[in-house]
Amino acid sequence: MIPYIERTRTYYSTLGYPPYHWAEFEDVPFARPGKPVSESRLALITTAAPCRPELGDQGPGAAYNAQAKFFQVYTDSVEPVPDLRISHLGYDRKHSTAEDPNSWLPVARLKEAVAEGRLGGLADRLIGVPTNRSQRVTLEQDAPAALQACIDQQADLALLVPS
Amino acid sequence: MCHQTVSLIARYLEAHGIPTVIMGCARDIVEQAGVPRFVWSDFPLGNSAGKPNDRDSQRQTLALALDLFETAELPRTTCTSPQVWSDDDSWKFDFMNVDALPPERIEQLKREFAEQKATAARIKSGG
Repeated sequence: MIPYIERTRTYYSTLGYPPYHWAEFEDVPFARPGKPVSESRLALITTAAPCRPELGDQGPGAAYNAQAKFFQVYTDSVEPVPDLRISHLGYDRKHSTAEDPNSWLPVARLKEAVAEGRLGGLADRLIGVPTNRSQRVTLEQDAPAALQACIDQQADLALLVPS
Repeated sequence: MCHQTVSLIARYLEAHGIPTVIMGCARDIVEQAGVPRFVWSDFPLGNSAGKPNDRDSQRQTLALALDLFETAELPRTTCTSPQVWSDDDSWKFDFMNVDALPPERIEQLKREFAEQKATAARIKSGG
């Protein structure tokens, strides 16, 4: 296991930046599913971004592309699978090329689970959430927007997949 | 930052009655934030849903997540995927490890990071 908190602290300290205080909570909310997964509708939540060709290279193996960042929660149809990219995120570019979106956006696998009867349904639209260093912005702006999107999609469950 | 973002949002959704599962790779960040249900794959960041070009790996990872909705009895339930990224563990040494970088590369990273922050700030301000 990589100690990410320790790694990033040392990394950014070396680059001349103060340590970042990662979120830490003692109490954890817990909601029990009201029905079996096979009867539930699930919303997929991703940190990936819609591809916008005018913003430079966002393809597999692209260097970090800050231009491709977004700052508002969005939704997008899962049919067909939308063209989302992760060039704006700090994934492991040395050991992962991002060539297969299914490794960070399991839309195809979720559709299979629905077809096989393991999952009741997949929400028509996935939900994209921006990554923000400000925990306050995430909690006060983006989390309520994500909740509203889940409600709009009549989702019983949410699957969150970071990149 | 991805893993922290989804952790905060999962906590918010749970507090408002929507059960969640996070599939991810950065275990310490997610567990420090404190989430109800987490499927951890000890893979490089960018592979939270399974190995690339490996349908079986992706199906197994999703199966763990769907199962966890039904099996978790308490918050902070972490399910560790039994999958192994590679027989070679050297990838764990490389990521954001300044010990693996020569001084000239660190100087280059300082310049690049400052540019990235400026770009993000410009986009955010609408400039």
